[in-house]
Amino acid sequence: MKKWLVVSISLLLMFAAVGCSKSESVNSDGKKTITMWVHISDDNEEGKVYKKRVEAFNKKYSSDNIKAKIEFIPRSGNGGGYEDKVNAALTTSTLPDVITLDGPNTAAYAKSGVIAPLDEYVKDQEDLLPSIKQQGTYKDKLYAIGVSESSVGIYYNKRMLQEAGVDLNTLPTVDNPWTWDQFLALCKTLKEKYDKPAIDMQLQSKDEMLTYALTPFVWSADGDIISKDGKKADGVFNKKTTVEAMTFIQTMLKEGYTTRTPVKQAFETEKYSMKFSGVWTVTDMKTNYPKVDYGVMPYPVSPKTKKLVSPSGSWQFAMTQTSENKEWAAKLVDWMTNKDSNVELSRTIGALPVRYSSEKVMVKEFSVQMNVFLKQLKETGHARPVTPAYPQVTRAFQQTIDDISFYDQNKDIQKVLDTHAKEMQSAIDKAN
Amino acid sequence: MSKIGWKENRTVYTFLRPEGRIKNKILWKENVVAYTFLGPALLLLSMFLVIPSIMSVYYAFTDYYLLTPNMRTFVGLDNFINLFQDPIFLKSLVNTLEFVVWVIPLQIGAALGLALLLNKQRKANTFFKVAYFSPVVMSLVVISVLWLYLLNPNEGIINNVLTYFGISAQPFLTSPKQAIFTIVVVSAWQGAGFQMLIFLAGLQNIPGDVYEAAQLDGMNKWQRFIYITLPLLKPTSIFIFITTLIGAFKLLVQPMVMTQGGPVNSTMTVVYYIYQTGFTDRMVGYASSIALLFGTIIGLVTITQRKLVKEDED
Repeated sequence: MKKWLVVSISLLLMFAAVGCSKSESVNSDGKKTITMWVHISDDNEEGKVYKKRVEAFNKKYSSDNIKAKIEFIPRSGNGGGYEDKVNAALTTSTLPDVITLDGPNTAAYAKSGVIAPLDEYVKDQEDLLPSIKQQGTYKDKLYAIGVSESSVGIYYNKRMLQEAGVDLNTLPTVDNPWTWDQFLALCKTLKEKYDKPAIDMQLQSKDEMLTYALTPFVWSADGDIISKDGKKADGVFNKKTTVEAMTFIQTMLKEGYTTRTPVKQAFETEKYSMKFSGVWTVTDMKTNYPKVDYGVMPYPVSPKTKKLVSPSGSWQFAMTQTSENKEWAAKLVDWMTNKDSNVELSRTIGALPVRYSSEKVMVKEFSVQMNVFLKQLKETGHARPVTPAYPQVTRAFQQTIDDISFYDQNKDIQKVLDTHAKEMQSAIDKAN
Repeated sequence: MSKIGWKENRTVYTFLRPEGRIKNKILWKENVVAYTFLGPALLLLSMFLVIPSIMSVYYAFTDYYLLTPNMRTFVGLDNFINLFQDPIFLKSLVNTLEFVVWVIPLQIGAALGLALLLNKQRKANTFFKVAYFSPVVMSLVVISVLWLYLLNPNEGIINNVLTYFGISAQPFLTSPKQAIFTIVVVSAWQGAGFQMLIFLAGLQNIPGDVYEAAQLDGMNKWQRFIYITLPLLKPTSIFIFITTLIGAFKLLVQPMVMTQGGPVNSTMTVVYYIYQTGFTDRMVGYASSIALLFGTIIGLVTITQRKLVKEDED
């Protein structure tokens, strides 16, 4: 008899391990549940804001037959974790009603029918900033709304620049940006004074940061990554204009103005005088390095076009095609990205607004540095390419940067671009 | 070993058979019990290994896109044709082979060396065993991150020591030429402890009187190692060689954490590329075709190896 016990226990354990719970769509109090997945953890500042906003949503609609539920599925450094879970839910048709997704994923998710258009439900789209609309739109339909906006700029240490003889009043502004040549001259001064790289351009990061932060140089030169209709990369990415932008980046490296192997926290600890970084660094400086007196200047621009372009984008909320309560799901998406949510999130993590209405509130509360980012974003923000083949396109771009940074082995930038433009093209052809 | 076991079993069966029904019934009953115990393991094994393997063989011939799981179509050999024109895949294959060729002698050599040392060493033997074995039980991700700190081009302790002795700081992980070798060294350091323990067990199985006889015959230490230790370690070595080889082919975590396949794809390995095409690019069909081809390559290598070893035995 004992062995039957053993067998039944092992079977029990097995089923306990294998069995998985499916979330109920009807609550114990008879209310319908709309479930939402977010990509961060619940003890994170951003997560706490989301949780609060969901509670507020439930409070506001407490008389309705609906209840929103938020589930936290933190993503790992390489973007795994959360997206793996979404992918797994896709194959088993167990997606929740609302999901979050990174900006460049919009096209792939929309094309595959993972997420549903919001136009029918979200009427007030005039309030959204253009960059947010651009990012969430695929084939003229709005699929997703960003939770916050972002930008990148050049952080500079005021004391170190002054000691190197730079007059801070001559530094560029969004209205009057510097050309690449002017910026190179500043780097030269700083390099000679401190005998160290002038700026940490985060070239060591081998992830989305590279695409996000460096594509504006290509756009500034009037180039593009892929064509506007999203069909062509070969003949677009490998144009002369991209060569010009890449030459600028390569010159920065060649002259030792920046490096592929920067010292950690070099700007924050006043070893390098400048850092090329996102708006989030403002919060980091405020909490961790309050003693460093710094300013922010906009992107340098191509000397030919003098056109200032800056990056934009963020994670967004969207409702799934499989949601059975589309009206409420869309309402929740709208709620999570409305003025109050946006303002609250901006205050907590120092992000830029996604709506004109929230911008009006934020602009008064922002520091000088934050306002540089805000102005740059509003006037020059550019969303990343919209294509279902984005993962391959962004990697080809990152590899381009990787290749040109070994300038001894890759003297011919055009050849590097040709190779990677072909990679992009074949991925686009396959995806369309 | 397994050969003998199988033969013994067969004699038991032929012994039982002529005895008639009663013995057969006992046999049947024993089989039922055996399979019930095997059941859970078999079920899990088939669920998480056998069935997924079969499915991925099928996917290799489809255009399965991760976001549209229900819209896959059969595309025949398209994936494989693309594969041979994919420069990153070919590069990853070369990188993986390069890694295998370097890490095998290094890791097995280090393991044998450590085992020989520990076999003689009596004092604090357990301490050293634990010390050498500890990297094996640590998470690979933890190990990779630790080495990342050690190898940091500016603040890393290794470069600081090098510059102290007047050697210029090395771009260990940031140079396309050195990165794969750095990963070879880290991997060998991490894995050698396991093979060391097996070698140690093998060494302790060699009877002492063989050495005594050899000593009487006037063999020196080196001769004893070449003519006694090595031949008697052969069964152990074959096992270690095969398992280390298969393990080396599966290199993933170290480049993923330490270099992300860079610089310039110099540390992109096949398994990493499978992960990337499957889960980042969402081309599950294509990733499956790489997995199938790579599985076949490893299978062929292992079969060839076994054949060679057998011929050697005969």
